This record gives sequence, C-alpha cells and structure tokens, in this order.
Amino acid sequence: MIESQNHSPFRIEPAEPGRFVLKGSLNAHVPSKVWDVFSKFPRGQVRLDLASISSLDLNGAAQLLWLRERLRRRGVAAEFTDPPGNLIPIWRLAVDTLGPPADPPPRPHFFERMGRIHSEVWADFLSMAAFLGELLSHLLGFLVRPWRLRWADTFFLIEQAVIDALPVTALVAFLVGLILAFQSAMFMRLFGVDIFVADLVGLALIRELGTLLTAIVLTGRSGSAFSAELGAMKANQEIDAFVTMGLSPSRDLVLPRVMALTMATPFLTILANFAGLLGGNVVMVTLGHPIIVFWEELSGHIDLSDVMTGLFKAFVFGFTVATIGCQRGLAAGNGPTAVGQATTHGVVTNIIVLAVLDSLFAILFYVANW
Amino acid sequence: MDLETKIHYPLVVTGLEVGYPDAPPLLTNVSFSVAEGEIFGLLGPSGCGKSTLLRHLVGLEPAKTGKIELFGQNLWAHDGAYLDRIRRKFGVMYQGGALFGDLNLIDNVSLPLIEFTDLPQGAIKAAAQLKLALVGLTGFEYYLPASLSGGMQKRAAIARALALEPGLLFLDEPSAGLDPVTSSELDNLIMTLARNLSLSFVIVTHELHSIMATLDRAILLDKGKKGIAAMGTPHFLAHESDSPEAAIFFRREESLLAPGKNK
Ligand SMILES: Nc1ncnc2c1ncn2[C@@H]1O[C@H](COP(=O)(O)OP(=O)(O)O)[C@@H](O)[C@H]1O
Ligand SMILES: [Mg+2]
Repeated sequence: MIESQNHSPFRIEPAEPGRFVLKGSLNAHVPSKVWDVFSKFPRGQVRLDLASISSLDLNGAAQLLWLRERLRRRGVAAEFTDPPGNLIPIWRLAVDTLGPPADPPPRPHFFERMGRIHSEVWADFLSMAAFLGELLSHLLGFLVRPWRLRWADTFFLIEQAVIDALPVTALVAFLVGLILAFQSAMFMRLFGVDIFVADLVGLALIRELGTLLTAIVLTGRSGSAFSAELGAMKANQEIDAFVTMGLSPSRDLVLPRVMALTMATPFLTILANFAGLLGGNVVMVTLGHPIIVFWEELSGHIDLSDVMTGLFKAFVFGFTVATIGCQRGLAAGNGPTAVGQATTHGVVTNIIVLAVLDSLFAILFYVANW
Repeated sequence: MDLETKIHYPLVVTGLEVGYPDAPPLLTNVSFSVAEGEIFGLLGPSGCGKSTLLRHLVGLEPAKTGKIELFGQNLWAHDGAYLDRIRRKFGVMYQGGALFGDLNLIDNVSLPLIEFTDLPQGAIKAAAQLKLALVGLTGFEYYLPASLSGGMQKRAAIARALALEPGLLFLDEPSAGLDPVTSSELDNLIMTLARNLSLSFVIVTHELHSIMATLDRAILLDKGKKGIAAMGTPHFLAHESDSPEAAIFFRREESLLAPGKNK
C-alpha cells in the first residue's frame, strides 16, 4: 500500500517561527539526532505539522509523544497538526493509548535498604532454623521407625552421590597428597627428616583435608543438584502438589537426601584419604624410601582417634551439605531464574558454613585434646 | 503488472514438509498464503504439528522439502545473517510467553529497540510503554513476568513481538488458558492491530469463539491425513465444508461450548 513512499528519509523543516513541517517516513530507524532541533527551543508554543509525512508507525508516533512530553517539562506546549488521512488511524491509536510516562518504582532509601537486608538475613536464619527443626523431628521419627524411611530412594541417592563424586574426589585428593608431600619434602630434606613427610601428609589428610575436600566436591556435585532439583520442583508447583497430596517435602524429599549424603560422605572420605596417601607415597618412593617405610611411619604416629575425628567431621559435613542444599532449593522463588539463584546461593552458603564448621571443630578438638 | 489488483502476501508456503530431522514427517505438502492485514488460523487437534509448523515458519527448524517465502524472500535460501534480517520483520509469541524472566516488562519490550535502533532512551521507553498500553498492561511496566498472571504474560509477549513494528505476527495459542473476557479482549486487540496497522497474523488456536470472531481464513491440519484437511473461511469450515475432519473438529468444539444444546 504505502510501501512505495516508505523510503523517503525523515526530516524536519522549519516553516514560519514556531512551526515545523515533518516530512518522510517516521519510524524506529530515524536517526536519533533529528530531534535535537528542539533541545534549545525557548519557552512558548511550537506547532508540528504532520500533514506531509509519508508513513508513520507506532514507534514513530511514540517518538512524537515522547517529544511532546519532553517539551512540556521544559515549559513548551507542542501541538500537532494531523497526519494525512491514511495515517490518522495509527496516529489516533497511539495518542489515545499512551498515558503519561510511567516512572520506575523509587529506589528505597539507604537505611531502608540496610534494614531490609538485615531483616532478610534474619528471616533467612529463621527459616533455616525452622527447616532444621522440622528435619530433626523427622530424624527422630526415623530412629523410632527406621522402616518408614524411603530406603529405595535413599540407596539410589547414596549410589548416585558416590558414583558422581568418586572420580573427582579421588583425583583431587591424590593430587593434594602429591603436592603436599612434594612441597614439604623439598624443605625437610635439607634437615634429613624427609621420612616425616609421611606423618605430615597423613595427619593433614586424615584429620582435615580429606574430609574438607570430599565435602567441597559433594557441595558442587550433590548439594547443588539438590538445590536445582527441589528448586525446579518448587517453580513447577510440584512441591505444592506434594503438600496437597498430604505428603511432606521435608520427610519424603529432604530426609532421604540428607540420610544419603550423611552416609556417603564418610565412605567417600575414606577413599579420598587413601587416594591422598597414595599421592604422598608416590613422592616418597621417588625420594628413595620403600613403600613399606611410608606405611610403617604412618601407623606409628596416626591412631584411631585421628581417623575417627576425620570421619566424625565427615558425618557432620555430609549432613550440612545436604540440608543446606535442600533448604535453598525449597526456598527458591518463582520463575525460571529462581532455580539458578537457589543453586548458587546453596553452594555459597555451603562453602561458608563448611569453613566455619571446620574452624569450630579445630578449636573444639584442640580444647578437648583429641 | 497491474498495481491496482496486486495483493501483497507477507507469507507464502509451498509444498512444505513439517517434521523433525530424525522422525517421520508430521505433515506433508502444506501450502497456503497469508495476505496483508489477514488473520490466518492454523487449526487442528493437539499434537498434529501446529507448533512444529510454526517453528519452520519462523526459521527455527529447517524445512526438508518445500519453500517458505516471507515478504517475498526465501527463508532458507541464504546464510544466517540474511535469516536474521528477515526475522526482524516478523514477531513471534511462543506458547508459554517466553518473556525474559529477569527483566521487567518495559525492559522486555525495549530490548529489541535497544538492540536494533539508535533511538534516544526516552523515546524507546515511550515506544515500549505504548506497546504495553496497547495490550492493556498500563501500570505493570515495572513488574517482573513471574509476578503476573498467565494471560498478562501472553499479552506482554505480544507487546514484545510488536516492538520492531513487524508486518507479520505469529501467535501460538494466544487464548489457551485464558478466561472468556480476557480472551475476547485479546481477540479485539488482534483485530484492531490487523485493521489499523495492516498487520498480518498467523494464529494457532482452539478457541471456537476466537476462530469465528477473528479469523479471515484458516487451514485445518490433521494427523491421520498428515496434511491440510480443509481450508477456507471459518464459516465455510464450520458449516459448509464436506471434510469429515472439519465436521468433527467444529462439532466437538461447539458441543463443548454449549453443552445445553446436546440433546
Ligand atoms: N523436538 C522434537 N523432536 C521430535 N519430535 C517432537 C519434538 N517436539 C515435538 N515433537 C512431536 O511432534 C508432534 C507435534 O507436536 P506439536 O507441533 O507441538 O503439536 P501441536 O499441534 O499440539 O502444537 C508431537 O507428536 C510431538 O511429540
Ligand atoms: Mg502446540
């Protein structure tokens, strides 16, 4: 229809003072600086004559209405002469539809924002506490009636956690053992005490690193998966469906996951410890100590309490990683981005909590002299 | 050529085979054309391939055989940049709305304008606000999609599809899941846009009321026939077509609409 005239470039021609004639196609592709003519227009009145424009679309009309609003704020009253007849419907549609400019909601005041963050952190803490309470009551229920646990789910989850995490945990632990042994051996050799590398690597791994490493790998693999799974269920209203069926998300979804990870973590920790010791052993062998010497040295200086310390922490870490992962998932908001946010949030919370817990344990064990 | 009688066809489809690469075709030999300002319907039972046909038409799924011409340009004849240029001339509303979840409505609608024009920021805001007002979302400019109802999200998706002033709009089930009032508001909006902006529409729909009220012409697709079972005006399809599929489709929809009439 009006295609043939569509390509004439848009321009604004001044007529008599206070009147401008607009010509050409007015659409989203006009150069933005054409409107600069009006940026220094003095107060008063301006008439814009649209009768000679050749085409107009809604984006073009929106620019005219935006211009009028901008001029109005500077005390200039802009008036339009109607466009040609075939463009009047579009022009009328735009004029009748567009209201005054919508302003974004005001940014809250600094103190209000701080207050809000403060109350959010507090609410977060409270919901975590409530969640933990509910979970503990289900745990007690489990101790009373262990057969009520969803064992099939739990075993499947254990299997998944172990299989998923095993290669990464073993590799990282092996390399950490290797690096630790290598770095300390370089130094200890100077004093001829490189035999103690075995004890250093062994103690560090069994009491601290093996457990922490495993927990961090599990945070990345299982904890984040829990957040994402439960977050997606939340976003799809599957959790709501669960609740209205009379099922309990914390008993039927969270408890199996928490049990699974609590049981899988000590097991994975033992494997991680062996992998790490193997790494240390490789260094010792290359330094000329026979394999047997390494193990002899270890068994002389590491006792059951060291091993139990590590495993106890593994239980606690496994419980923590799963609980936080699940809680973050269930606390996810609506909408597709909420799942991603919940997952990130869960991983970050987990890493912080793991670091804090490990420090607390270090103090506790020191004081208790274990 | 006689310019007086020349009709523009923004969309011409010839002998198209609809389907996914590693699966048998869902529909074969699909041909139809959509005129300027026409509201064209794709009808058919669930699962017959309407959404898939739409994916071919908007260039998301390459067609195995057949030709799709949008605004006189062959969709698959050239490279990706060429395809992108054609894509800017039409708008799409996906079945679920597909708004960007982390942007508020006005930013969702502004995005194409920011990307493809160099309008001043205020003008872009005004244009986006106008599109939102057109679909009845005044006052919701700064809401996030997740905090709106399904019907509002669909209307916002239409506003976004309108951002670059397309000549053709594809809508996948715009009225599904909407209440009758909202649904007929949407119908009115579609007709207003078609009449005032000479905008063409290709609409996938089930809603009998919308079909009768808004569509100029439609094709009825069928799974068993693997193709077009009937084509024509809604009145023709509902009352005059001798296609058994049309009889079933319209009678069933009608009985759902007015259960009192079933004696
Ligand atoms: N990505 C895909 N790959 C293979 N088949 C698909 C895919 N998406 C959908 N289908 C199949 O194509 C058929 C048509 O689906 P669709 O076009 O969505 O139907 P509808 O007409 O309801 O919109 C269905 O049988 C569906 O299972
Ligand atoms: Mg569909």
